[in-house]
Amino acid sequence: MRNGHADEIGKLVEPGRVHRRVYTDPDLFELEMERIFGRAWLFVGHASQVPQPGDYITTELGRQPVIMVRHRDGSIQVLLNRCTHRGAKVVNERKGHAQRLTCCYHGWSFDTDGKLATVPVPEGCGEGFDKDALGLARAPRVGEYRGFVFASLAAKGPSFEDHIGPMKGNIDDLVDRAPDGELALDAGMHRYVYNGNWKLQVENVLDSYHVPFGHASTVNKQGVQFARREGDQKGATVVEAEKKQTAASWKDRKSFIAGNGHGWTSNTTLDDGKRSSPAFDDYKRVLAEKVGADRAAEILTPRLHNSLIYPNMSIMGLNIHVRVIKPLAVDRTEVNIYPIRLVGAPAAMNFGNIRLLNVTHSAASFVQTDDLESFVRAQKGLQSHLTDWVDISRGLGAEEPDRSINATRGLATHEMVVRAQYKAWVGYMSEAA
Amino acid sequence: MALAARELAAAGVDRAAFEDFLIHEARLLDERRFRDWMALFADDGTYWVPAVPDQKSPFEEASLFYDDRELMKTRVERLEHPRIHVQTPPSRTAHIVGNVVVEEADAAKGEYVVGSTFIMVEYRDDAQRLFAGRQRHRLRRHGDTFRIVQKRVDLINCDGAFEAMAVPI
Repeated sequence: MRNGHADEIGKLVEPGRVHRRVYTDPDLFELEMERIFGRAWLFVGHASQVPQPGDYITTELGRQPVIMVRHRDGSIQVLLNRCTHRGAKVVNERKGHAQRLTCCYHGWSFDTDGKLATVPVPEGCGEGFDKDALGLARAPRVGEYRGFVFASLAAKGPSFEDHIGPMKGNIDDLVDRAPDGELALDAGMHRYVYNGNWKLQVENVLDSYHVPFGHASTVNKQGVQFARREGDQKGATVVEAEKKQTAASWKDRKSFIAGNGHGWTSNTTLDDGKRSSPAFDDYKRVLAEKVGADRAAEILTPRLHNSLIYPNMSIMGLNIHVRVIKPLAVDRTEVNIYPIRLVGAPAAMNFGNIRLLNVTHSAASFVQTDDLESFVRAQKGLQSHLTDWVDISRGLGAEEPDRSINATRGLATHEMVVRAQYKAWVGYMSEAA
Repeated sequence: MALAARELAAAGVDRAAFEDFLIHEARLLDERRFRDWMALFADDGTYWVPAVPDQKSPFEEASLFYDDRELMKTRVERLEHPRIHVQTPPSRTAHIVGNVVVEEADAAKGEYVVGSTFIMVEYRDDAQRLFAGRQRHRLRRHGDTFRIVQKRVDLINCDGAFEAMAVPI
């Protein structure tokens, strides 16, 4: 598999099933780091994390350490966090501010656009020493949409517009909720890890089938989940308690795909007419003052639950957040979840969003922890050699075009979205770099 | 800053009484008596585990836990649910609480702030892990015992990445 010939890759994915090796084979993981995380458009961070020149965050693209930094000219630079001298990681803090990025080892110092600025004991440099050629490596392509910064580590490939185009409406849906039309990812982050493959998390964000079972412990005897949005008196009805089966309103929810592995699920039915609290009512009033009552009503009518921007990030419309998936090894994954501050919204509304996200998505939350258990058990179960195939066939053939939004529609309890992810996966993986 | 013995005497309180209370609280958690543990909290009580060192507010930044009594009740009901997968099998924990100091005493209001250091070892599903840090209890006198107004737990690795955490620390 090391060579990753297209025909070998193709054999791992069939119309309604995938081979368990896509989750368990370390050689395939290496190939994913090269062919998917080494070239796809990946979410890096948000412009609000680096508001001033010199502000930076550090993160990883695949396994490669990077710095996202605001340069003096206002541009956002995505630099490889690796000294061009002897290879040490240059910036070790997760976030901070610096005029120069200085390596701890021999003191090489780089400007915030990556240029090598100073080298200690310069008289030791040979005649051919070319400072201009020794700047920090830069992500060859960087794109930004409404503050969301993406980068590709490959010089060539589909354009940022081709990649992100189908998902712009999903980003707008979130950003437009801010009365000032911008988001701030400045309210900390949740970090969790699990002993499982990264795709288990990616597949889960659009999986509505698992909710009544995987999250049974969050559903009360009446089949209703706890309230998880500011202003809600109760959560979604996911189970019809008397029949002990998935609720009709839950089964009716839709999912959508629009190419490139991306997808989303429709909103979770909640009692929006009754949504009210001092914080929410105040927010609604402020939003209406900014954008008009009709537009505010439109913005506040929920349309989306989760949106996946393949391969490494999702945004949620219910408990608003941005999620970043970071593969560490074939059976180990870290996930970062950023609460979102809606700029211009009353503080109490943002407080409510931040507070309720702890309950749904922290490492100690009511919801995410049962998902993590499912991922860990999937990774353990997939060690079985006697059952090689993973079934993703629900709703196969039942997909239908939704021409109004140029997407393909299916039921949210089906597995169309997973099949779309594997279509993109085969596309990336079949092509040698 | 710890109050000196004579300051405690002046406030009419005994450090050992607070230590006994913290040991009792830890024992309720270790015995998985989550409802009894919740009953130690005042009606306006909160349980807070920050996600960054020196976190100033539970409202402006993400926290690992920030439960008021209502959320605590939902959490405890979930812990009692037969299909809580992340507790199948359940965690077993052992707490050690030490270095107990009374940091503030307001005898007139009957409110006290008690600092301590803790270690919690958790075993579940073939894996054992360690939690450690400082905790601060704001306590309110309640008859001959106390109610917790706030329990704040500052883990030394609070900003690290955690595997799923199901039980309170």
